[in-house]
Amino acid sequence: MEKIANKVRETARLALANGEVNKILGWKKGDFWYDSYPAFITEEEGTASLIWDSFCVANLSKYLIEQLKEDIKVGVFLKGCDARAFNQLLKDNRVDRDKVVIYGLPCPGMIDPEKVKKAGLAKGLLDVQKSEDEVVFITKEGEQKFSAREFAYDKCLTCQYPNPVVYDELLAEEVERNNTTEYFYQDVEEIEKMSPDERFAYWVEQFSKCIRCNACRNVCPACSCEKCIFDNSKANVAGKAKVDSEEQFFHIVRAYHVAGRCVDCGECSRVCPVGIPLAKLNRKIIKDITEFYGEHNAGVNPSLDAPLETFKLEDIDPFETRAKGGK
Amino acid sequence: MKVLKKEKFPQIWQAINQAYELYLPIEKDDRVNFAQWTEGETVNLEALKTEISPKDVIFPQSETYLKFESDGKKLQLESVESENREYVLFGVRSCDAVSFNLIDNVFLREPIDRLYEKRRNKGTIVSLACSEPEENCFCSSFQIKPEEASPGVDVAAWDLGDKILWKPVTEKGQVLTQKFAQLMEDASQQDQEELIKLQNAIKEKVKELPLASVDPKVIKGELKEIFESKVWDELSQSCLGCGACTYICPTCHCYDIQDFAGGNCGERFRCWDSCMFSEFTLMAHGNPRTTQKQRFRQRFMHKLVYYPNNHGSYACVGCGRCIEKCPVNMNIVKVIKRLGGEG
Ligand code: SF4
Ligand code: SF4
Ligand code: SF4
Ligand code: SF4
Repeated sequence: MEKIANKVRETARLALANGEVNKILGWKKGDFWYDSYPAFITEEEGTASLIWDSFCVANLSKYLIEQLKEDIKVGVFLKGCDARAFNQLLKDNRVDRDKVVIYGLPCPGMIDPEKVKKAGLAKGLLDVQKSEDEVVFITKEGEQKFSAREFAYDKCLTCQYPNPVVYDELLAEEVERNNTTEYFYQDVEEIEKMSPDERFAYWVEQFSKCIRCNACRNVCPACSCEKCIFDNSKANVAGKAKVDSEEQFFHIVRAYHVAGRCVDCGECSRVCPVGIPLAKLNRKIIKDITEFYGEHNAGVNPSLDAPLETFKLEDIDPFETRAKGGK
Repeated sequence: MKVLKKEKFPQIWQAINQAYELYLPIEKDDRVNFAQWTEGETVNLEALKTEISPKDVIFPQSETYLKFESDGKKLQLESVESENREYVLFGVRSCDAVSFNLIDNVFLREPIDRLYEKRRNKGTIVSLACSEPEENCFCSSFQIKPEEASPGVDVAAWDLGDKILWKPVTEKGQVLTQKFAQLMEDASQQDQEELIKLQNAIKEKVKELPLASVDPKVIKGELKEIFESKVWDELSQSCLGCGACTYICPTCHCYDIQDFAGGNCGERFRCWDSCMFSEFTLMAHGNPRTTQKQRFRQRFMHKLVYYPNNHGSYACVGCGRCIEKCPVNMNIVKVIKRLGGEG
């Protein structure tokens, strides 16, 4: 990855130097091994601090909404999932393609610091390096090697599009996909096996953990409304009380609002501070949409019609054909 | 000083639970958070920090304080008293224990917050020293000593392997100790020596932590100067404006007041709010903070400048939760360092 990181820095430097863009969105490194965080760079010399490593998980595409409010051209580094997010923002008319230069980064999968911590490896950890399928943990005492899969984010393990689906320049060779579709729906199938009562109890319990911080919403590229109803006191539909009814209401609205537009980036699950498995819900909806209307991968091709935004006479009536009853 | 064997834990939980509400770090779905104990829960006192701070025990995320009903002409108001029994909060780490004092400064000064005061007075706090501080801990930057009993706790406890050392420090702590004294033994000379060893070991570990050198005093200058610093433009760009950092933070204490209105009757409740939210300062005339930069600046100015000006101490206890939980790795350490001229 370090070779590509050099390319990232060089690309950014050149783009600013020759005036191709006014600002670069990339990642920088902070105090800790896992601390790769969004960087906004306007000066050529700033590009030296850019990085590309196994912790560049934050998706930079949604920042474009805010950044493009200024009349500037922005260069942005996007991974596979980030590029799908970009396309969805494009489809939702939230960004202007002409004002963005996309540097695509084929993604080898990102490492989940929580998994590292759970494995008891975080203590004294100085650096984590990844090469191909191996990850090396470096401490004062020495190095330890593991299979990278063990520490990859769940979302990366099932990622279908590690290569950017939209870019102006691709900074590395495409990576190969080795994830299968069966695995993709494993979580959903576990939930589907439950009885309606069990399923209801499961989600009630999950949602009752929600502290209504809105991280899942704010990180989501499909949640890009100018004013969310949950922030609009005039809408008078939502309260901030920590009670089951409000939490469930929030989650039903969130899940359905992104239905058909969710790009399966898994960011919502990643950022939730209490660990609610929101991706399971999104994938259930993706699975249903696929069964009802055929495969649709939001953000892969923005010129395609989205199944829930179009109506065709031959569309099935899910309630008639598939109603199963229950809660 | 007493000693409580860990094998007696189930018994003491049961016994405390008879007389009090009992809050403990409880493990569920792989995550540890403070919750009310009931038989069968998995208590986890090994995990250093709960994912969310225990502040919701003393300051619940939402609470109703007024019910109202109108028959068209007359409006009837009924004040709601909290129904909670006395409670014991067990296993609070030093940073979180200090955070309670910081919240007290806000709610227990005139005009005293009635709901908060009542709930606070009902609590007996048992702290547990941090045998294994973590990489993102920087409590020492705020003169917090994780090896000692934090000011304000009723009982201080230390983990000595198969037992905990139990030291009542306040009258409330004495009462709690006396009630359950039959489950404890007196601490021996050897226990006392082990305590000193443990404390020294903790002190050493704290010194070695990667963030040990973080010092909020690097932020100097006039309020206005800090307020207008360019740093805010730069740092706030990545902030998503979610409330994660504020809701997990032990010292954030802002709240909103809302009504559950249902036709001619309803409830008025208060609930946590976050300065990072876009409608946070919305008032009848509009919103004085319209950008994420202004909101972001508020969070850190409050903790590092306004609160210290008002109360004489920083409103951060260095628990490190925001370091762990911010979706984009923005946090108070980055802010302190940048305001201090680093980076
Ligand atoms: S709902 Fe979650 S997985 Fe889907 S686009 Fe939004 S953040 Fe990504
Ligand atoms: S991120 Fe998690 S806790 Fe926060 S609002 Fe979303 S589901 Fe709730
Ligand atoms: S600093 Fe981080 S956690 Fe806090 S509001 Fe901004 S993005 Fe969310
Ligand atoms: S600002 Fe961060 S480190 Fe400080 S008390 Fe709050 S969560 Fe903990």
